[in-house]
Amino acid sequence: MIRLFTIPLIVTLATAVPALSQQADTAEPEADRAETAATENTPSQAETSDNLSQRAAQSQREVGADWPFWGGDAQATRYSPLDQIQPQNVGQLEKVFTFHTGDMPEGSAEGKYSPEVTPLKIGSDLIMCSAMNILISVDAATGEENWRFDPGVSNDAIPYGATCRGVSVYTDPEAPEDAPCATRVIEGTLDARLVAVDLATGSPCADFGDNGSVDLWQGIGERVPGWYAVTAPAAIVRGIVVTGAQVKDGQAEDAPSGVIRGYDAVTGELAWAWDLAAPEQNRNGPAEGEVYTRGTPNMWTTAVADEALGYVYLPMGNSSVDYYGSNRTEAENEYATSLVALDATTGEEVWHFQTVRHDVWDYDLGSQATLLDYQGTPAVLLPSKQGDIYILNRETGAPLTPVGELSDLPKGEIEPDFISDTQPFSEWHTLRKPPLEEKDMWGFTPIDQLWCRIQFRMANYDGFFTPPSSDKPWIQYPGYNGGSDWGSVAVDTERGIIVANYNDVPNYNRLVPRDEVTSKPINEQEAASDGGAKAEGAADPQAGAPYGINVNAGWRNDVTGVPCTRPPYGGIRAIDLATGETLWDRPLGTARRNGPFGIPSMLPFDIGTPNNGGSVVTAGGLVFIAAATDNLFRAIDIETGETLWSTVLPAGGQANPITYEVDGRQYVMVTAMGHHFMETPVGDEVIAWALPQQ
Amino acid sequence: MTVPPDHPDRHKTVWGVKILGWLCILLGAVLLAGGVWLIVLGGSWYYGLSGLGLFLTGLLLNRYRTEAVGLYLLVWIGTVGWAWWEVGNDWWAQVPRLVAPSIILVLVLLCTPALSRHASKRLAGSS
Repeated sequence: MIRLFTIPLIVTLATAVPALSQQADTAEPEADRAETAATENTPSQAETSDNLSQRAAQSQREVGADWPFWGGDAQATRYSPLDQIQPQNVGQLEKVFTFHTGDMPEGSAEGKYSPEVTPLKIGSDLIMCSAMNILISVDAATGEENWRFDPGVSNDAIPYGATCRGVSVYTDPEAPEDAPCATRVIEGTLDARLVAVDLATGSPCADFGDNGSVDLWQGIGERVPGWYAVTAPAAIVRGIVVTGAQVKDGQAEDAPSGVIRGYDAVTGELAWAWDLAAPEQNRNGPAEGEVYTRGTPNMWTTAVADEALGYVYLPMGNSSVDYYGSNRTEAENEYATSLVALDATTGEEVWHFQTVRHDVWDYDLGSQATLLDYQGTPAVLLPSKQGDIYILNRETGAPLTPVGELSDLPKGEIEPDFISDTQPFSEWHTLRKPPLEEKDMWGFTPIDQLWCRIQFRMANYDGFFTPPSSDKPWIQYPGYNGGSDWGSVAVDTERGIIVANYNDVPNYNRLVPRDEVTSKPINEQEAASDGGAKAEGAADPQAGAPYGINVNAGWRNDVTGVPCTRPPYGGIRAIDLATGETLWDRPLGTARRNGPFGIPSMLPFDIGTPNNGGSVVTAGGLVFIAAATDNLFRAIDIETGETLWSTVLPAGGQANPITYEVDGRQYVMVTAMGHHFMETPVGDEVIAWALPQQ
Repeated sequence: MTVPPDHPDRHKTVWGVKILGWLCILLGAVLLAGGVWLIVLGGSWYYGLSGLGLFLTGLLLNRYRTEAVGLYLLVWIGTVGWAWWEVGNDWWAQVPRLVAPSIILVLVLLCTPALSRHASKRLAGSS
């Protein structure tokens, strides 16, 4: 009889719970437009540019056999025209190679790894960066290493996590084909450098900056390791390398500038800077002894560029102090959480589109925007963290799909004059689910569900955009990891389908009065004393604001680690590009790795876990995605949403996969390297699969 | 024919009922207290009521009363009805609502023979 009492425990342990915690233009018209734009632009640029060819539109590498851009093609569709692997044969995929980067966390980097890397495939090589920015070239067919270059980034440079999402490649049209660095790999590093090496050899490009390296700390101010770090691949447009940087969230009002800068891809010289609070004064860099405007919104994610127009589209985040806004400037308010189109030849703003007014929820734009043709108009598709999907005119920023307006929103007691009582939302498509109700609370027994219901009732919650509060916690739903994050969406330009994976997770937050704040901003800490071990926003000081912030990311039960809201916590959806209607929608991620107290339940059911990392869609009719916390890499039928093939990765697959071709054989590849915030195991594997050779 | 006394078995069964009784009292008290808190906060009445039911079930079990089975059956049926009304066939959402109460139901049902024996003994004793 007594033994029977262990059954509830076993059953409840087994109870699965998550751990957490068109491009319609074909390449040819694009190239045509590029040429037209080039001829149009050449005369006007001749006066301002010392290097004419660097400012003219160049033809872009095409996706197919290669995967030449982080987002696949220059339009960032993550769509591949390869079709050898199809729903009928995907079940036969076999592993071709596993490559180990050898970059595993050591010392103070333990618990801070979140590599997220997506290699490029150019010619016969895969080019990638490791978590700590080691550049590596690998044979795309065999996985054998060609070369590596270690820029020597030290552990103390790790901001929130050791992340290098990828690299960019640039071919100098002026250079002879076999000249060193005619084609170069450019990487932004965690210690804020731009590094350029030769694609073929990995040798630093002597002509780029200081022997292959440009110091991005120029004009930023006090050099504090980890405060200012590049984690995303640069966009390269008209020969200009455009980069922002991650300014560590939640530290201080007086944080490094979110300035966006363009550098000559050949020489590494500063071409322009866009300091949103002082665009004119600081266009060529700040005056001697001055710095770019501090504390401004930054871009930590990946931009996309329209080479023909010469525009670059910047998904901006918000100011360093995310959850309090009364002392932000007008310029910050204007550009925070906006997509900004800059003319990359001049660094001047063309237009911007704001997705959140007076953002005090850390709803940074995390996704790379995608360029496509929408009903005959060159457009840019913008996914947001609230789950809204907007389609805008690429040249003017005017919405091409309906944008609605939420009104009479709650203003709260902390800063009612600052909180906007209206917010835009997409009437065309949103991944966002309805507001939470008490019955949405979860747990694995009635007792923890009851405790979550009590927490629900004790918190401030008035639906979307509930303003921050301090006397009581407030529920933020979707949370800052909700909707679309840096994995972005994929667009099947042939079938006219958007594939969007998303998170569906709230945060449980509280503003902490200044006198109760115990954490120090990064510039006042002992070196590297603060880690990425805690979730972003958990006990951030927000120095200079009246409140610090405490975020319970994923709103998890303190004792069991089980989320307070019912599954699914993440899903994947196919959306008809013509109508904005959902074609299918399903939970993404099984319960196999998750369970209370961190014990894996081994359950194969699709519970829908949080997921970070995007998908690739192929002409073969498949969606390849890892992303979820179950460490599975799967192939999904784009027509039905059904999983046709899956394989267990040796570590977390929080990275965008790619597909490419070598000698007529199609490969799919993803990196399994884990993610500290997603609580997946760390690894260093780069794994490729293909169909058996005939 | 007289039934030979089966001391070891009866002993074990009695302890099972006792332990289940105390478990129900404990869990019932927690649910009752939290449930009252939730009611005060304007939330669902289910937890307070089911907590009370579970608590009383525990008391009855401790006294070897067969009414414990009927009472808990009522709590469980109420739970199923309430759970269905709240989230229907969302089975993940049903996990915290139905799994533990159903396990307790099975355990309570397993106590039935022991409770019946006790009841018949008591009846025999009182006659």
